[in-house]
Amino acid sequence: MPLATTVITPARFAQGLSYAGFLAKATVNHDKFDASYQSVPLTDEDLSFFRKAAALPHGPKKMLALAEAWCGDVYRELPTAVRIAEATGMELRIFFRDENPDIMDEFLSNDGKSRAIPVFVFYTEDLQYITHFTERSASAHAGLAAAMDEVKTQLNLPATATFGNLPDADRQVLLRELITKIRPYSDQWRKDAIKEIRELLSAALKISNAG
Amino acid sequence: MPGEAPPAMPPVCVPVVYTIRGCDACVKLLRKWDAERVVYEERHVELSQAVLNEARGYGDLVPIVVWPDGRVEQGFGDTIGCFI
Repeated sequence: MPLATTVITPARFAQGLSYAGFLAKATVNHDKFDASYQSVPLTDEDLSFFRKAAALPHGPKKMLALAEAWCGDVYRELPTAVRIAEATGMELRIFFRDENPDIMDEFLSNDGKSRAIPVFVFYTEDLQYITHFTERSASAHAGLAAAMDEVKTQLNLPATATFGNLPDADRQVLLRELITKIRPYSDQWRKDAIKEIRELLSAALKISNAG
Repeated sequence: MPGEAPPAMPPVCVPVVYTIRGCDACVKLLRKWDAERVVYEERHVELSQAVLNEARGYGDLVPIVVWPDGRVEQGFGDTIGCFI
């Protein structure tokens, strides 16, 4: 949750990078960002919803993104935020997480223990916080947990097995199998992220989630 | 023999670890190794596409350790690590 006192002032927000500026500073994954940008799964109905939300007087006019170019979740999801901003006229400003720990501290996840990215924060024109989305959809987290359970069963590992309590060899097999199992869901989880962002905005703005 | 080039030094057999600055699992692994005085070669995947591609040849999430005997290990500790 964002802190009561925020470091996001108008001056600080303005220091964020445009997408072009972010890519210019990114040292890796230009091909991945391009591919994700070309395949953002936003439907016309999604875009209609985001335009409707952005047109509200108290609607989102600004979006802050926390990102790092090396991160898989970022190169999959940041282009979605870029497309939403382009379609609605929202001003998108991107901050590198590791250069902006004070901003990251406002949006920690996992009970304040994780600095998960990407984070997309929606603000009104005068930078009043509306809502934010972190990392990946709830369905992706649930899918990851379900896949973990399936793999443990498949490998005859006890239900209590975790990455931390398995011998190295078993841990490596578990990881490899888990990655194989979740890979096909990547596209679906991108769509689910859009659905979740819509739900977040719909609830925060008290508007219908219809497009 | 005079005029003859010295033999090439044998490669140093230390584990290579691919990391990302700010990855908690990477930090924990290196902290442990430093405490144990393990000698290693660290390669930062966030600094170079070539190094990132090299790391992807071994796995999907950092830290990735490539041991001198060819064994590869991904992740560390009780978290899944960072996807690359």
